Amino acid sequence: MRQFRNLIYPYVGWLAVMVVVPMLMILLYAFTTAGNDVTTFRFTLDNFVRFLTDVVFLDVLKRSLLIAVATTIICVLLGYPIAYAIAKGPEKSGFFWIMLITLPTWINMLVRTYAWVGILQDDGLLNSFLGLFGIGPFHMIHTTFAVVLGMVYNFIPFMILQIHSSLAKMDKSLLEAANDLGANPVQCFTKVTLPLSLPGVLSGITLVFLPAVSSFFIPKLLGGGQYVLVGNVIETQFLTSGDWNFGSAISLIMAVIIMLSMWLTRKVDTDPAANGKGA
Amino acid sequence: MDNKKKTGIAGKVLLAATMIFFYLPILYIIVFSFNGSRSLTHLDGFSLRWYEKMFADSTMMEAVVYTIIIAILATIISTIAGTLAAIGMSRSKKILRNLVEQVNNLPIMNPEIVTAIGLLMFFSAIGIKKGFLTLLLAHIMFCIPYVILSVMPKLRSLDPNLADAAMDLGATPFQALTKVIVPQIMPGIVSGALVAFTMSFDDFIISYFVTGNGVQNISILVYTMSKRVNPSINALSTLVILLITFALIVVNVVPVIREKQGKSGQSFSKAGIAVCAAVLIAVGGFGASMLRGGTSPEDAVAKYGSNTLKLYNWGEYMGENLISDFEKEFGVDVIVEYFDSNEMMYTKIQAGDAYDVLVPSDYMIQRLMNDDMLQKLDLSLIPNLDNLAEGVQNLPYDPNHDYSVPYFWGSVGIVYNHENVDPAAVEEQGYNILHNTDYKGRIYIYDSERDSFMMALKALGYSMNTDNMDEIYAAYDWLLEMNDTMAPVYVTDEVIDGMINGSKDIAVVYSGDATTILAENEDMSFWQPMEGTNLWSDAMVIPANAQNPLLAHEFINYVLTYEASMGNSEYVGYTSSNEEVMLELSSEEGAYGDNEAYVPRSGYEKDEVFQDNPVLKKTLAELWIKVKASK
Repeated sequence: MRQFRNLIYPYVGWLAVMVVVPMLMILLYAFTTAGNDVTTFRFTLDNFVRFLTDVVFLDVLKRSLLIAVATTIICVLLGYPIAYAIAKGPEKSGFFWIMLITLPTWINMLVRTYAWVGILQDDGLLNSFLGLFGIGPFHMIHTTFAVVLGMVYNFIPFMILQIHSSLAKMDKSLLEAANDLGANPVQCFTKVTLPLSLPGVLSGITLVFLPAVSSFFIPKLLGGGQYVLVGNVIETQFLTSGDWNFGSAISLIMAVIIMLSMWLTRKVDTDPAANGKGA
Repeated sequence: MDNKKKTGIAGKVLLAATMIFFYLPILYIIVFSFNGSRSLTHLDGFSLRWYEKMFADSTMMEAVVYTIIIAILATIISTIAGTLAAIGMSRSKKILRNLVEQVNNLPIMNPEIVTAIGLLMFFSAIGIKKGFLTLLLAHIMFCIPYVILSVMPKLRSLDPNLADAAMDLGATPFQALTKVIVPQIMPGIVSGALVAFTMSFDDFIISYFVTGNGVQNISILVYTMSKRVNPSINALSTLVILLITFALIVVNVVPVIREKQGKSGQSFSKAGIAVCAAVLIAVGGFGASMLRGGTSPEDAVAKYGSNTLKLYNWGEYMGENLISDFEKEFGVDVIVEYFDSNEMMYTKIQAGDAYDVLVPSDYMIQRLMNDDMLQKLDLSLIPNLDNLAEGVQNLPYDPNHDYSVPYFWGSVGIVYNHENVDPAAVEEQGYNILHNTDYKGRIYIYDSERDSFMMALKALGYSMNTDNMDEIYAAYDWLLEMNDTMAPVYVTDEVIDGMINGSKDIAVVYSGDATTILAENEDMSFWQPMEGTNLWSDAMVIPANAQNPLLAHEFINYVLTYEASMGNSEYVGYTSSNEEVMLELSSEEGAYGDNEAYVPRSGYEKDEVFQDNPVLKKTLAELWIKVKASK
């Protein structure tokens, strides 16, 4: 196996050039003050202080994390049964379902989100449909519901894909063995299937949570401009107010928070993974 | 047995519900691609006009080709590289592995704009020519992490002794890799490839900042076109859906056929690769034939020194035939790229990207002038300057047209539904109607710090260019009060569709957008408050690093002709900078004859033009976010 260890080095080199160097260039902005002269740096922590001492910004940060956590939880709760149902079926139809779930994500996100704007309008498709049964109308557009719905819609395919791929090639004989040894279906699931699929769930969480925290267009379109999340604050710094220093500082703060939460997730992860290996 | 059936049925119901959830918006997109009108929320008859428009638009078709080629190449390369890296990681020391995992997460968790700016600066620093290569490199860069994330869980549950056993039995390391490890982690690789393809196919911000020289993908077009909602994007999406469905059917049917012929096993992945290769070649051939470009008569080169013009303009800001007519008349090629905000454009220009003609707004022109990033115009080459409308002559930021020639202009005002709002009240209260709780929950505010502070400052009787902090904080309080008492919805270009459909009663908008709203909904009226407004203009300039200034002058002169200006203004609805066109369109028999928004007020003493003040702009931007975020 040692032979394969060297396979990591080309990627380390690539990361250094294509990820670390550009990030360092951005980092430099976070710790400096604005100025047209690139050659003279003035180091400062003002950008961080400005963000971390402002109640409004801290509220925005809190709201962003809450929304991302909610989105992630919903994606796990909905995505797991879906992935499970697909994995339970025959392998070939499994591939077909997975393609059907992936296909919508190849349509531009903005276009799909615009479609939701039309569907969720006060006089939109959904309310017209509910109206046929005498229900509603409900005010949905520009609410938290709309934002979370948009995020779940956009990110849940990644969760399903990840969970499905760890369920797909699970050794079925393990379940039979558990069954033979007297485990009931619930025990089979909680003691065998679930632990074995946890690595997939965890990478699914990564793939949903990370983009959800920094998402920008979904809150803007479905929540309205008043629905400010931290992604919107950062985008504004770069694309409208041109304050790269402040924008870099905020994204650094966010990166640290996210890395911490990912580190915590991994801590939780080490237990079941060890169990899985034991099984 | 019975139990199993039950879960089977439950599973089917669940999957069916999932499909409805996933495909409802897709169906919506397809239906609206056949809409008779521009609206994306209300149906208005059946038409194929958006399909005609899409196929006539060569930029769109080129973008489809680039998107597919880049997505396929990026997926293949990043899947292979990512899988190998993941295998290497799973065998490495813990410290190195953790480090790589953390760095690997960076591109996923950083807001896209941060990665984009980082790459933009990086590519500019190493002096690589922006275009296909930079776009591909960037896509590979952000795709690999997704592949690694997908493959890692499978590697973790893989028995590390398998490969050793294979090699003990005489397999070479390569064989152990391809025959033992890869088949075991195949589901992870497939889902990694699918996520990578999705990410590449759908990427906008990173692509936008790392590409150049006319290489654009679908997302770039979609985002920069949203300036004026354009259902041909729905048509384009429908086309993409059809293409993908077709590919999917082929991938699924081919293995079935092969299986019938007695083959089985991994044939479907091989078939998939074969289909991908075929599509790539077909698209590549199609693309190459299309990208070959138009004719290039020698005389254009002789006259201007080159036969290509690089134009950087707002999305959906030109008449339908402007570019093709110019190309025909002068025997040249025009490469057009689009931007969505002045700052987006400024970022690329600052990074050294070279264009021949830009169309920034007033304050941004002032900044570019201050930064010495513009060339002085040779007015003898622009005789059509005589056609300029009076309202845009001698504007304060460039009174003698040393650097800029106006393109469109207008004001900011209030659009209101005169069925629900008393015109007398609007005219009497001006911007303060936005504090009138009779209309609570019925207003749209344009989401821009400049224009929001403009209206607040004007409502309080101050200059919109003030740098007096007391006045600015008074305006801030005015906006906060509006936010707290009126429950406004902050929108950008959705305001056009929203007001056409009558979703709200009052909106603060640009006069050009008001023109479109009034033309489509006759219940709407337009009013420019007596407290004064922002008199804005977008103008053509030639950047200092332009490659073909001679041709750029020719283009600027051409835009000022009657025909070009007429095409532009008729299509976009913004006020022409050509006096004759403006008068004709606003005359009784003109297209905007009864449209009170088409001709902006000019010569009114309380109206102002924005001045550039980068420091103040940052303050306003921060205060504006706080207004929106306060609850």
